[in-house]
Order: sequence, then C-alpha cells, then structure tokens
Amino acid sequence: MPRRTSSPAAGLDFASLVRQHQAMVFSIAWHLLRDRAVAEELAQDVFLSLHQHLGELESPEHVQFWLRRVTSNRALDEARRRQRRPMVSLENAPEPVAVTPQGDPLLGTALKKLVAALPGKSRAIVILRYQEDLDPAEIARVLGIPVGTVKSQLQRALALLREKLSRVAGQASGLSHGKE
Amino acid sequence: MASLEDELRSALRRQAPSPDFAERVLARVAAAPVRRTPRVSQPWVRWVAAMAAALLLAAGSLEYRHYRGERAKDQVLLAVRIAGSKLNKAQKKVHMLAHRSNS
Repeated sequence: MPRRTSSPAAGLDFASLVRQHQAMVFSIAWHLLRDRAVAEELAQDVFLSLHQHLGELESPEHVQFWLRRVTSNRALDEARRRQRRPMVSLENAPEPVAVTPQGDPLLGTALKKLVAALPGKSRAIVILRYQEDLDPAEIARVLGIPVGTVKSQLQRALALLREKLSRVAGQASGLSHGKE
Repeated sequence: MASLEDELRSALRRQAPSPDFAERVLARVAAAPVRRTPRVSQPWVRWVAAMAAALLLAAGSLEYRHYRGERAKDQVLLAVRIAGSKLNKAQKKVHMLAHRSNS
C-alpha cells in the first residue's frame, strides 16, 4: 500500500497530484524525447522526486511550476545524454514525406517531426509555449533563461517551422500535380 | 489552413500516459526507502550554523595564537634560566681562581 503523503500547503495528497499532473509531465517528456517508454520512465522519476520534495512546495501553483521545471530540465538532460541521432538543425532536418497542405492529421505528424528536429532549448520553448500555453516570461522562469532569449528563440523557431512547412506543402502539391 | 500557432497547439496537445501510470508511480513510491527530511532545512538555521562555525573558527584561532605565545614565553624563560645558571657557574669559577691567586 503506497504511503499517503500530503503537503498541507499544496492542498492535495500525493496520489491526487500524480493523477492531476501525469498528462502534463508525460507530455513534456514525450514531446521532448519522442520516445514513449523513456518519457514514461522519466515522468515516473519526476513524480518520485516530487514525493521527496513535497514538503518544500508551498502551493498547487508551486507544485505545477516545480513539475514543469524539473521535467523540462531532466528531459533536456536525457535528450543530450542519449544522442541517439546526431543533433541536426531544423534547416538540415529531413523533410517529412507525403504531407498534404490542408490541416489534417498528417500535418500534425509533420509538425511534431519538425519540432522534434529543433535544438533542445528551442524545442522546450516551443513545447512549453504551445503544449502548456505559457507566456515567454513563464517559460523563462521554468527554464531559467532570460525572457529575451525565450522570445528570440521562439520567433526563430516559428520562422523556421513556417519555412519548412511551406517547403513541405510545396513538395506535396507538386506531387499531387505530378499524379494528375 | 489554420495558423501555424493553432496547428502547433493541436499537434503538441497533452497526451495521456499509459492507464496504469499513476499506480506504477505509487507502487514505486511505496517501494522506495523513506528519505529522512534533512534536519537543517530552514534558511535561518543554516545562517545560525554558519555563524556558529565562524565564531568557533575565530575562537580556535585566537586560542591557538595564545597557546603559541605562551610556548614562546616558556622557551624564553627557559633560555634565560639556562643562561643564568651558566653565568653563575662561570662567576663561581672566576671567584675560585681569584681566591687561589690571592692566597
């Protein structure tokens, strides 16, 4: 039987915190690592660590901030450590194939691949911005970097994603014209 | 086509982990050894400990200097005593020789 640990300030017992935040923690890890098993393992480690530090956290917001920060940092460390593939810049990332230009599930898949090809910090910024809907100041606090860096890297990442997507869309329309 | 930002929000939306995720976390927590909370956790306790350590160091340093001073003083006194006894012996010899030459 698991020990029931609660933080009076955080207001919830540990099991409730796990259920409440598991999708957030797992998704940050999964979008950063693109490996479901590794992301689950990392998310479990994050919650074990939360269990050990629960007494130090003062509010539900503090718990959420702590989880985002620890998960992002650990996933970035893990991505660096694994180096399963050589780090490629977005410019050099392989084009996703067979993508239709209209908004459909394949576009989402292509976008995920393009985001996965971003350098670590930029990837984390994009994930915290669009998965967690954080503003640049909040992202800066979570990652411990200046707000200016967050804004510039976000703009650069978006410009690169836009350019890459339009190239992919152009190729797809070329393919469909070729078939006609 | 939706804006890139909307597409990103959709592509990067939260995903659920496997259904037994929470149970596995709780099982690992139950199996993990109990970690004792460090006794020194409050910042003011750490400050007091640091100040006490600094005071002890300063007091120790003063005590050591005092001890070295005492040792130096003892050595000087010993040297003076040795020199005094040598002088006494020399004086006695001089007196003895003077007495002999007079007689």
